[in-house]
Amino acid sequence: MTASPLSHKALIATLCVGVAVLLIASVAVGYAPLDLGAAIADLAAGRQTLPALVLAELRLPRAILGAAVGFSLGITGAALQGLMRNPLADPGVVGVSGAAALGAVVAFYFGFSSAFALALPLGGLIGAGLSTAFLLTLAGRGAGTATLILAGVALSSLSGALTALALNLAPSPYAALEVVFWLMGSLSDRSLAHVALALPFMAVGWALVLTTGRALDALTLGEDAAASLGFPLRRVRLLVIGGTAMAVGASVAVAGAIGFVGLVVPHLMRPFVGHRPGRLLLASGLAGAALTLGADIAVRLIPTRPELKLGVVTALIGAPFFLALLRHLKVDGE
Amino acid sequence: MKQLAVALVALLFCAGATQAKPARVASLNLCADELVLRLADPGQVASVTFLARDPRSSNVAALARQVPVNRGLAEEIVPLAPDLVIVGAYTTRTTTALLRRLGLEVLELGVPQTLDEAYDQIRLVAARLGTPERGAALVDEMEAAFAHLPAPAAQPPSAIVLRPNGFTAGRGSLPGEVMARAGLDNLAARLATDRLGQLALEEVVWAQPDVLVVNAAPDAPPSLADDLLTHPALAAFRSSGRSVSLPIRLWTCVGPQLAEAAARLAAAADTVAKAATETAAPPPGGPPSAPSRIQTALPTTGEAAR
Amino acid sequence: MLEARHISVNRGGTLVVRDLSLAARPGEMLGLIGPNGAGKTSVLRALAGLDPIAAGTITYGGRTADEIGRRVLGRTLAYLPQNGRIHWPLPVEEVVALGRLPHGAASVDDAVERAMDAVELAPLRRRSAGTLSGGERARLLLARALAVEAPALLADEPVAALDPYHQLQVMELLRATARAGTAVVAVLHDLTLAARFCDRIALMKDGRLIAEGPPAAVLTADRVGEAYGVTVERGEIGGEPFILPWRRHDRAPDRKEPEA
Repeated sequence: MTASPLSHKALIATLCVGVAVLLIASVAVGYAPLDLGAAIADLAAGRQTLPALVLAELRLPRAILGAAVGFSLGITGAALQGLMRNPLADPGVVGVSGAAALGAVVAFYFGFSSAFALALPLGGLIGAGLSTAFLLTLAGRGAGTATLILAGVALSSLSGALTALALNLAPSPYAALEVVFWLMGSLSDRSLAHVALALPFMAVGWALVLTTGRALDALTLGEDAAASLGFPLRRVRLLVIGGTAMAVGASVAVAGAIGFVGLVVPHLMRPFVGHRPGRLLLASGLAGAALTLGADIAVRLIPTRPELKLGVVTALIGAPFFLALLRHLKVDGE
Repeated sequence: MKQLAVALVALLFCAGATQAKPARVASLNLCADELVLRLADPGQVASVTFLARDPRSSNVAALARQVPVNRGLAEEIVPLAPDLVIVGAYTTRTTTALLRRLGLEVLELGVPQTLDEAYDQIRLVAARLGTPERGAALVDEMEAAFAHLPAPAAQPPSAIVLRPNGFTAGRGSLPGEVMARAGLDNLAARLATDRLGQLALEEVVWAQPDVLVVNAAPDAPPSLADDLLTHPALAAFRSSGRSVSLPIRLWTCVGPQLAEAAARLAAAADTVAKAATETAAPPPGGPPSAPSRIQTALPTTGEAAR
Repeated sequence: MLEARHISVNRGGTLVVRDLSLAARPGEMLGLIGPNGAGKTSVLRALAGLDPIAAGTITYGGRTADEIGRRVLGRTLAYLPQNGRIHWPLPVEEVVALGRLPHGAASVDDAVERAMDAVELAPLRRRSAGTLSGGERARLLLARALAVEAPALLADEPVAALDPYHQLQVMELLRATARAGTAVVAVLHDLTLAARFCDRIALMKDGRLIAEGPPAAVLTADRVGEAYGVTVERGEIGGEPFILPWRRHDRAPDRKEPEA
């Protein structure tokens, strides 16, 4: 059957076009009446005009981060689901995003990141890495879906509480109010500096996760069969933990914990990739980028001030979808 | 709001005439702290808020050090048995209600929107504290300082105030009047719809004010709210000297610091005006002449682009 | 092809396999039988390289797993786990194609076609694995293992969930696979199937090999009785043996607690 790889390429191409269109739309939407063509021309010619400034310093970082954060959430959601063979594994649901937020909060509000800029993504990375490793240990001990989700709920609550505590202890009077950013996520007023801090980590994370595609395919048959097919499962787990920690940790460090993208997107994409966990990775990354870009365009078009947090929109889309999904999903079945 | 203030003043003069000079005054609001510490006799103040001791937010940190502090809780105030409690109109509402129920004498201060209202408030508090002469002296001092400001230019430079979290000083705010007296045209009055509107960074950059008044403490501990003020999109303001940093404590409360704020802004306005006459050319690149475009392009805040 | 010499397997501080030697030869089907807890699955997992051995050596064509390398080992042997699951509803042919992963990509090639034909699943190739019956799923998993086309096939209770028709079908298939040159090792509980389809039988109890040889020599009433604690009725139909467990012994078979 040579048809399916071809149609897979078509799917990836379609998603790429979709992401590109949404990237342009994201750059086009904002609070000032920017003439995009003129802005791009100015920027390309190196003219330091106002439109070029708004484009380069405000619109582009926001669009790039939207795509990169969404890609990170989508691809890691797909990887965690494949690795744990659990359709509910998602960085948000299982507490990885929350732990990343805690790490980033500690790094940011207690001055580590002002002394050393990389401390911000590294803080997120450490939080995400520790929680992913903890969950995989649990999953490795044969914990079922219910145990894993309950552990994730506990981990989310704990890291949420510790985040709130850290924010209350933080010296800045504004810190306590900013818990919403960390728990809901937002892309407003991000700068190219944030892109430079986070994107390299995310890219390495994606690369690590993408190398596990065939192992995740093999894991469809369970760990023993996958191991007998020659896949080093310990290394596969480390790659997914490391990749998730880097992609989600860096995402959360600059955009907060945006929920539901990593959960919903792999489910949406699965039928289009013949349910192959390996092929799901790239497709979910691209679809995650599209969803996050779309949601971020929506928060700017919805006339609320201050802007809605991104996680509000993704949850508004994601939660009802998720509930509908539960009707078709035997979580503890088989 | 203005009527309320007038009514309060009237009420106070009636009350002040009959009431004895209070011996134990407690304050539950930072701006009340500043007035009480400046206007009362040293032994008269029983308690001020803990905020008054923080030099980042308070102009009277030194004075507050000699006075017990509270965190705005009724259980802290009641044991002091104050014969006057001064509160803010928008803070510690629960405590205020409780103190009133317990029969304590409560004076509530609004947020002045003009310098005249600020002067009224000073006179009101001084009269209530039994030190009207100090109030009059403070008002005179401030009026003199404002009178010393250079006359505004015929075409005053435009300015936007940027506070943590993207808040600004909008139409009908005390900072707005201070800016006007300092010779600055507050652009945010045409952008933000209320006194304390929030602006998207993009709106601030796009409006291209001649002066960006940044209300930030350089040594503020890290927060996303303060991070906004150092966003790279604002770098051009800093590098071209069009950004003036003004500690927010200089114009959050009523006091002589308002004149200092005005003096600093007037200096900034002067610098910008001089630079403009030297180059005598419209701002480089980008859209045509800034002011006309802003007025047509950004009439209201509610309008998300497109 | 596949040879274990004096192997022991330690699980959680207990020796579940002790000093066991066994060889699987190309073209031959070896049945691994014994009561529950005898260590059959442990032996099979050790042979598949899934669990480390505490003592002894296992070689594949004369070389150890370390010498071969994990990747090559993946196409040197195919392992069919007990009660295998298919966690995502892939199309049938794509599940079978997973057996091609050790050879490169998991694409539907001739080996996949052969494996699907062998288990008669070709007509269901586009069906989702989630919609298959238990028997179809078991055959699908077997096809996946066959698609590896490895010189050795290790199957753990391959007929456990199947109806009689498909039990016979799978056993015939395993024997045909052996006849084609593969070394097949299958853990079995059905004594008749073991006797009829295996070339050799290895009988285990308490982690040890207690008998090994042709079915007629191993599956005697005494040995089966000793190992399982049951009496058996034996007979022949058309020259082929059948063995039926008939009654339990009065006392359960004396099972030594394995020592550490």
